[in-house]
Amino acid sequence: MPDALPVLRLTNVSKRYSSTDGGGELVVLQGISLDLQGGESAAIVGPSGSGKSTLLNIIGTLDRPSSGQVLLDNEDLSRLDDNQLAAVRNRRIGFIFQGHHLLPQCTVLENVLVPVLATKDASLRNGAEARARRLLDRVGLGARLTHRPGQLSGGERQRVADVRALINQPKLLLADEPTGALDRASAEKLSDLLVELNREEGVTLIVVTHAPHLARRMKRVFELRDGKLE
Amino acid sequence: MTTWTLILRSLRFHVRSHLGALLGAAVGSAVLVGALVVGDSVRGSLRERALERLAGADVSINSGDRFFDSSLLERTWQSVNPASNAGQSGQISPELIWGGLDGKFGWVGLMLPATAARQDGEARANRINLIGVSTNFFPSRIAIEPGSVWLNASLASQLHAKVGDALVLRTHKPSALSRDAVITPRDDQSVALRLKVAGIAPDAPGNFSMVGGQMLPLNAFMGLEQLGTAAGIVGRANLLTVGGAYTTRPGSFFDRVILWLTSPRLTGLPRSRFRDAVFRSSLAIAVPASSAQQLTNLEQHLKFTWSMRDAELTTRTLRLDASEKSGEPMHLLVELNTSRIFLEAPVVAAALGKEKNGTGDQTGSPGKLTPLTTAVSTVSSEPLVPLGPRANVSTNGIGVLTYLVNLIRAGERAAPYSMVTATGAPWVPADMTDDEILVNEWLAEDLKVRVGDRVELSYYLADSGSQLIERTNSFRVRGVVPLKGLHADRTLMPEFPGIAKAESTHDWDAGFKLTHKIRDQDETYWKQHRGTPKAFITLAAGQKMWSNRFGNLTAIRWLVPTNTSPESLRASIESNTRANLDPEDVGLKLEPVRERALAAANQGQDFGQLFLGFSFFLIGAALILMAMLFQFGVEQRASEIGTLLALGFQPSQVRRLLLAEGVVLSALGAVLGVAGGIAYAKGMLWGLSTIWRNAVGASPLRYHAEPMTLVIGAVAGTAVAALVIWYGLRKQVRQPARVLLAGGEVQGEMIESSRSPASEESLRGSSFAAIGRAGRAGLLSIAVALGLISFAFATSQTSNAGLFFGAGALLLMGGLAFASRFLRRLLRHASVVPSLGDLALRNAARRRKRSLAVIALLACGSFLITSIGAFRLDSDKDALKRSSGTGGFRYIGESSLPVVVNLNTKSGREEFGLDEKDLTGVNFVQMRVRDGDDASCLNLNRAQRPRLLGVEPAELQRLTAFSFAGFAKGFERSQSWGLLAESHLDGAIPAIGDAASIQWALGKKLGDTLDYTDKRGREFKVRIVGAVANSILQGNLIISEDAFKERFPSESGYRMFLIDAPSNDTFAPGLTRAMQDVGFELTPATARLAALNAVQNTYLNTFQVLGGLGLLLGSAGLGVVVLRNVLERRSELAVLLAVGFRRRAVQRMVVTEHGALLLIGLGVGVAAALVAVLPALISPRGEFPLVSLALTLGGVLASGAVWTWIAAALAMRGKLIEALRSE
Repeated sequence: MPDALPVLRLTNVSKRYSSTDGGGELVVLQGISLDLQGGESAAIVGPSGSGKSTLLNIIGTLDRPSSGQVLLDNEDLSRLDDNQLAAVRNRRIGFIFQGHHLLPQCTVLENVLVPVLATKDASLRNGAEARARRLLDRVGLGARLTHRPGQLSGGERQRVADVRALINQPKLLLADEPTGALDRASAEKLSDLLVELNREEGVTLIVVTHAPHLARRMKRVFELRDGKLE
Repeated sequence: MTTWTLILRSLRFHVRSHLGALLGAAVGSAVLVGALVVGDSVRGSLRERALERLAGADVSINSGDRFFDSSLLERTWQSVNPASNAGQSGQISPELIWGGLDGKFGWVGLMLPATAARQDGEARANRINLIGVSTNFFPSRIAIEPGSVWLNASLASQLHAKVGDALVLRTHKPSALSRDAVITPRDDQSVALRLKVAGIAPDAPGNFSMVGGQMLPLNAFMGLEQLGTAAGIVGRANLLTVGGAYTTRPGSFFDRVILWLTSPRLTGLPRSRFRDAVFRSSLAIAVPASSAQQLTNLEQHLKFTWSMRDAELTTRTLRLDASEKSGEPMHLLVELNTSRIFLEAPVVAAALGKEKNGTGDQTGSPGKLTPLTTAVSTVSSEPLVPLGPRANVSTNGIGVLTYLVNLIRAGERAAPYSMVTATGAPWVPADMTDDEILVNEWLAEDLKVRVGDRVELSYYLADSGSQLIERTNSFRVRGVVPLKGLHADRTLMPEFPGIAKAESTHDWDAGFKLTHKIRDQDETYWKQHRGTPKAFITLAAGQKMWSNRFGNLTAIRWLVPTNTSPESLRASIESNTRANLDPEDVGLKLEPVRERALAAANQGQDFGQLFLGFSFFLIGAALILMAMLFQFGVEQRASEIGTLLALGFQPSQVRRLLLAEGVVLSALGAVLGVAGGIAYAKGMLWGLSTIWRNAVGASPLRYHAEPMTLVIGAVAGTAVAALVIWYGLRKQVRQPARVLLAGGEVQGEMIESSRSPASEESLRGSSFAAIGRAGRAGLLSIAVALGLISFAFATSQTSNAGLFFGAGALLLMGGLAFASRFLRRLLRHASVVPSLGDLALRNAARRRKRSLAVIALLACGSFLITSIGAFRLDSDKDALKRSSGTGGFRYIGESSLPVVVNLNTKSGREEFGLDEKDLTGVNFVQMRVRDGDDASCLNLNRAQRPRLLGVEPAELQRLTAFSFAGFAKGFERSQSWGLLAESHLDGAIPAIGDAASIQWALGKKLGDTLDYTDKRGREFKVRIVGAVANSILQGNLIISEDAFKERFPSESGYRMFLIDAPSNDTFAPGLTRAMQDVGFELTPATARLAALNAVQNTYLNTFQVLGGLGLLLGSAGLGVVVLRNVLERRSELAVLLAVGFRRRAVQRMVVTEHGALLLIGLGVGVAAALVAVLPALISPRGEFPLVSLALTLGGVLASGAVWTWIAAALAMRGKLIEALRSE
């Protein structure tokens, strides 16, 4: 029996830049191929400048590959226009940034619900607030719903960002250095949380990190070196 | 959580960064709202002034030189008052409810032109209105005592008069006959009244005027009776104004509810009965009647109420006793005559029962509609008796035309100054031909003539005025009639003023010098027989000789049939005449003055639009500043926008979110702008009342704001600001989320390799080409500009504003092209060891488009506000050339009272005691004046019926005076003033006006027509066939003198004069002094033109001031650019600090960098503008406002420098070095 179709498949993905002053071509990613099944978790590690964030951005549709193919649920993302990609980001991908990027003007609950505003799907909108409250409760922020990001600790902000990434029930959760700005204790807690969410919500998780302890907790670990995935 | 929650949260969170944008929106809206409110205020003030000047009138009769009986008002009130037995209200629709006679219904007055002077001679005023008013004129019912006068504030101010001061007012006694007629007295025309000032009338009704215009009238008020007595027309009036009527409409349910809620106690009824009364009975609500309703209603009443006396018509019974010797029976006659001497055509037609056609057949012979019986009935002559349908009842009336003949000659013998009557049978044989004459026995004896002899009649043409054109006609004596019976009738001579009441021929004031010797027998004849005609001719013969524009009959006579009493015949004649005449035929024309005045005010110069135009730059600057600040705020939120994009928002969704924030800010700004706008409007009104007073004339402006204007202004302000924000946001949110999340700016060093090297090359190639194009375009622009300037100097066209403006605009374009090239070169320039100054300049070139935008904004702004001065009008330019705005005339003269002589003739000059020698080289172009609305730029109202000037077209054509700006389609340029003499198939009278008057004051274009009403109430059209450019004729329409006289036969004399004179002005004081009794005023033509030009020049000043404010605001935008540039480059600046530069040096570099942009922008703009305004700069009068412009531009420079410095200081505040660490 053949394997089930992967949630995410990268085939020969490359990314190149050329200098404006004609100084030659810079290859950031080269022939990256990767399959991830539903509910799988993976860490991408590598030295600074190795292209980890670029790869994550390509997977997260924030960037397009110079060549190669990215399939999400067997759908070729390179065939989609910007608006369709935005919809993919909104409904099928959750993104956790290193610098949480919460909207400072909104409360915790509102921040979580912001992605819901981008969709017109009534079914998603209807249950969104209850889901947000449940998830925030789940990450220990049930009592901080009306707090603003400025009133939260770094770890708490990161947890709000995690919940925001999950609010539209994505299939793929991408985290770019999620613990990079946290102290050790907070980083540990967040690592636990990510693993739990991966397990309990059944979401495929890709984490780009420098932190070995976080990488080790993922089922698969890839190292990006000189633009190649090993 | 909704989208609105997010928007409101963002607005609240970013309130500080939004504050600048909010203020920008508020300023933009304030200026917009303010401009509209200025429009409201001007319109409101004009409306106020319009209503103030009408003193409560809705409808009025202004009969000018026709005088009706002052009881007409009371008779009309009797008619409209349902309580009166004489009321006609049952027969008239619509029914209206009029006020009482206590002033609520109306008032009558007698208005005469006059001059006024202090008795001590310290001050005088010409062209004043001396108005005799009934006590109900003043709301406080002031009774003006005999010997006293009330003045309005403007006249009091001009005369420096206060209560108790003594004044001399001089007016003309109204003449029964036009002063243009030959037989009208020259002496005793004016009357001087010594009066004491009893009070200063309040503005309403003190500023009463029947003429729409900006200038406040100069009014003096006397008691109606006193003025009538002094002017010799006691009991007469020429003004009747009525207003304030109500009509009713059925009450609606809403009306009943309101009444039930508000008024139960007023009636004293028990509540239940009151409720029944309100809801179950019929209810009528009184609402003010429109002018049209009042006009219709009054016109119907007037038909019943006007009398023969109101038309200056009289009937009388004449009993011509038969001579005992002849055995002839006594002749019983009824005569219709007029104190105006000549019966006008409509009156003749009405009395004889003919179709009235105005200028048609006036022979007095029976017309086609005339029934041939003497229709006599016992119709009452009571004026208020209802008249039936227009009667075709005719009579066997006989036309009579009696005229003064200078000389009746037969061979060597001649009889001077005799009356000759032209009439029909029985005075002359029915078969008498037009070349035959009956002479009475006295004349036959005097001239020794018999039947068959020829006699010659020499006479002056009746309307040849002071020109005294004499004609002679020859007749064959048909018979000699005895001096008795019908032929001994001294009443055949009308009451010629100056003659009729003279006891002796030596006492005659015939209006001309009696050059023929009056013999003793002539004197004896006068004493015995007075004006008994010495000869009789046929009516047709008489009308051929003496027909004139005033009328063709002096009387109509009816022989009373034997079976009729003279009284009943008189009554019948009067009744028939009234039934056949419209009141307007005899000058009783009701005009909807209120409606017309309000239309003039409402359609007047739209200052709202004008100030929107003036404030355009200011609004633009405020909105650009707002957009820059808003965008700046948005750019600071790169991470937030990136987050939204990363979370799946589409760029358009993010833009909509930001736009929604912008719209809310715009709306808030607009709300603030309403308050600011009111303040701005008040500021502008202050300006218009002080420094820009010339733009609005003399009327004070009061603040008015319609709530709807504020709403419209706020909505428009919001919309415009939102539009600007939307435009600015179009290019936002284009950067990818990853870039925005990474810190905002695309670094620009790397581009994706998907672009091929070939496209790279082409990009570079096109860039180089663009540099080349800019340079070439700049060079070409400058070359053409220099060519234009050289051409102007080579061809002596140094006053050609258009040429220089074009050159300036080209220089501006060239300058900007070179600025662009300069910035490109800076970027490519590389020195091995750059100084901070080098770095500053190179930085200025880094954001080339942004820098160029700043330069262009400053250059265009400074060019615009400076160069607009090129369009200033210079009244002295070529002032002595015929083609100039003065027409080459040195003076323009205006008199209060008409001048009926030709001032170019010796006799005309002698009339005023002018010495021929003093007037050597002085020539007058005399113009008749029909008063009307001032259609010059000095009147902000839309002129409805502008003043008409009647001029001899050949005279202006001969002088080739004034330049024509254009002609209506189908009219030949070559004919110029000759177009006025043409007649048109559609009967419209050709007119020429000033181009500015036609376009702005009248809202018309060439070929359009205007409706006028002539003296007989007939509507006629005036077609604008030509327009002269920027001239002293502004405010008037000029028609030919012939057309003028035909339409306004009783407007006598000339009241406006264009005067050619030698360069020395020695004649001017003498001329003014000699003609002071007619209120003659001389104004240098250049001064008049300057006063008219002042309006346009003041508009330009206003634009320059508001444009300067805009530029000042725009210079604050430079600060925003600095702030943006510096914040974007904080890390770069930090590096400079890190490597040892001092903070002050770095700040200086930033200021230098942006100061260069400021200097380049202003420099390019001002240099180009100086070329554009070169004609104004080298004009001899040099009215160019150099100081205010220098201050404005200096202010912009200083403001730009200050904003730059502040922005640089703000941006470099704090620990700049930390910017490095965060990198």
